[in-house]
Amino acid sequence: MPRTTVGHDIELIIEKVADNGGGITPPSNGNGGDDGKRPPKRRPSPRRYYTGIALGIVSVLMFFMALASAYLVRRGSADWVPVRVPMLMWFNTAVLLVSSGTIEMARKRLGLLDVVGFTRLWGLTTVLGVVFLIGQVVAWRQLVGEGIYLASNPASSFFYIFTGAHALHVIGGVGALLYVAWRNFERAQLTRVVAAEVASYYWHFMDALWLFLLALLYLGK
Amino acid sequence: MVTYKDDPDAPKTAGVSLVARVFSTDHKTIGRQYLGLSLVSVLCGVALSMLLRMHTSWPETAIPFLAGVENTPERYAGVRLLHGSLMVFFVLTAAPQLGFGSFLLPLQIGAREMAFPTLNFVSLWLTVLSLAGMTASFFCPLSPGLNVWLGSAGIFSLAALFSALNFSTTTVDMRAKGMTLPRMPVTVWAWFLNAILSMLIFSILLAGTTALLSDRLLDSNFFSVGSFLAHQPQNLVRQGSLPVLWQRLFWYFAQAQVYVAMLPCFGIVTHLVATFARKPVWKERLVVLALCGVGLIGFCVWGYHMFATGMNPYAPLVFAVLASSLGVPAAFLLTSWLGTLWDGRVQFTASMLFAIGFISLFIAGGLSGIFLARRDLATAAVSEDFVIGHFHLVMGVAATFAILAALFFWFPKLFGCRMNERLGKVHFWLTFAGVYCIFMPMHWLGLLTQSNLLGDAQRLALASAGASIRTVVTVATIWTVAAQSLFIINFFGSLVRRRKSEANNPWRTSTLEWSIASPAPGGNFGGEEPVVYRGAYDFAASGCEDFAPQHLSPELLVQEAD
Repeated sequence: MPRTTVGHDIELIIEKVADNGGGITPPSNGNGGDDGKRPPKRRPSPRRYYTGIALGIVSVLMFFMALASAYLVRRGSADWVPVRVPMLMWFNTAVLLVSSGTIEMARKRLGLLDVVGFTRLWGLTTVLGVVFLIGQVVAWRQLVGEGIYLASNPASSFFYIFTGAHALHVIGGVGALLYVAWRNFERAQLTRVVAAEVASYYWHFMDALWLFLLALLYLGK
Repeated sequence: MVTYKDDPDAPKTAGVSLVARVFSTDHKTIGRQYLGLSLVSVLCGVALSMLLRMHTSWPETAIPFLAGVENTPERYAGVRLLHGSLMVFFVLTAAPQLGFGSFLLPLQIGAREMAFPTLNFVSLWLTVLSLAGMTASFFCPLSPGLNVWLGSAGIFSLAALFSALNFSTTTVDMRAKGMTLPRMPVTVWAWFLNAILSMLIFSILLAGTTALLSDRLLDSNFFSVGSFLAHQPQNLVRQGSLPVLWQRLFWYFAQAQVYVAMLPCFGIVTHLVATFARKPVWKERLVVLALCGVGLIGFCVWGYHMFATGMNPYAPLVFAVLASSLGVPAAFLLTSWLGTLWDGRVQFTASMLFAIGFISLFIAGGLSGIFLARRDLATAAVSEDFVIGHFHLVMGVAATFAILAALFFWFPKLFGCRMNERLGKVHFWLTFAGVYCIFMPMHWLGLLTQSNLLGDAQRLALASAGASIRTVVTVATIWTVAAQSLFIINFFGSLVRRRKSEANNPWRTSTLEWSIASPAPGGNFGGEEPVVYRGAYDFAASGCEDFAPQHLSPELLVQEAD
């Protein structure tokens, strides 16, 4: 699991504190806790965010795999009328691929402590994400214009559920991007570097998942 | 005994408003809330099973509750659905994993909180919403009722996914210094493996319910019947093989769900048997390996619920072999429990009695499972009563025994007092006798009256005997349910009469949760992080105590002994 240097430092601090371990006296920090707020001033190890996102990705993947296996089984039925992937979706794919590039560039800027560059590129990624979503909606409207609805036949049902479920997950991703951009990390348990890295993993996953789904819809027709 | 001092920064409980206490992100509060949810659900579920039994034995008797909400066959099916949903989702899944897991996992690994407390909070309240939805679906008319049920199942899947994510991340990343993997209690292993299994299967249920709900509400064609039917060979259609696709997705989830209910129970029973036999777990690492085996194989055996659906003729063979191979880790777990008990200084507390009861029920239920795993035997033995008898014994009742064992054991840590031991033991023996009287005759019923191997004349003769066996089962059910009032009295009586002076470690055991005050204080271990020096089942220590707590350094241990 990748770690940032910041995270590593924090871990060392924790180990140092814990090295008093077996010790009996708690470190006194004097404020008596009367405010009743959650105590840890130090930031705990950020590893859990990486583990969390990795496991989250596994379970999202499992959701789509269940649907994909149903798709492959259902494909043989007599009422299967293949759906042609709208041209616009190829453009959307390109947009999503570019956004994966910009998010990496943004992270590199953050690593160089260039906050302005980071904000700009991060914002661009978010805009590209939104453009992708709008593009998907327009593509659906094109299909509806051709008379292909969710209820038309099994192929169209699968087409809409794959693209729809993916779009919902991308909306979650856009939410994560906005969170990283706007959250004040001064008092948070994680740093912006960690948050940006974790969000970028999810974003790349959305990208790869879309390529997989597109291949499934294009080749599996 | 070294204990951790109170943490001056710990969240205060006194003076906090009721609302803040109910809507808390503290893992201990959430664990208790899950257990409360399970208690309510188990009481409703048991009441519903009484209704079902009474209706089976005395069908003419008007049952007031059912008469009120139109007394139709659909309503009977509705009662069964609600009984099953409450028991499977909100008792068997919620209590051993979510309830005890949320409360104990951070304590046992020496963490201050779960990895994502807010996510824990969200999954609890999604579970509550799902419970409300499933209960409401019972009172809706049939078709909208099913939609509400499916939506609630989807919400429950989402909640289970969030919890699973939280449990596994917590175990991976939040362990105290020195809490290496081999030192983790078997309970933690079980919760961890179970979380991974849940993460895989609840995604599938979520996908399945989404597609089915979309079929029902939006007229999509995922599982639609007509056209799919037209494409199938005639002989399959006659066997009623239709909604095979949905069945596959459903059983993929549901078979593994059995192990989701059982895995934490295995962990709990292993933990309790070692504690009360005052011996280390026999072959602890192999036990963990066996738990992995149960999870892995349990994930692959969905097909054995579908022998009757006209699948590929070789598929049942594969699934039967897989299902039978589950016997290997199960037999190993059993050997380990017996090996731990062997020559131990066994203390027969109420908690231990329930753990041993679990082992007994597990053997009995497991043996009848062998019949069902073999295809030829299954054809003869598959009848409603046999299957119901089998899975209630091994999944429902055995798991309930493990939950009760855990409750008696961890009650001091949960609520700061012990439950009454004598009342607990009486409750155990009455329940233990009761469940065998219910489910053993049910197996015979399944084999005798519905066997396909008998001639018509013999079957008729046996049918009359069957009626009296049914009545015996119903009477035994009423008896067993009545015995549960002892548990209710014990539970609430102990809470009402509790004194403040409960010892930190009443069972004299070594895991981390017993190193802190009872009930567990806010902030868990106070201002310092616990450090772990040894495995969880060190019951062979020399000195004044027969156990070595995980958190005591070797030097302190020597001091204590002196």
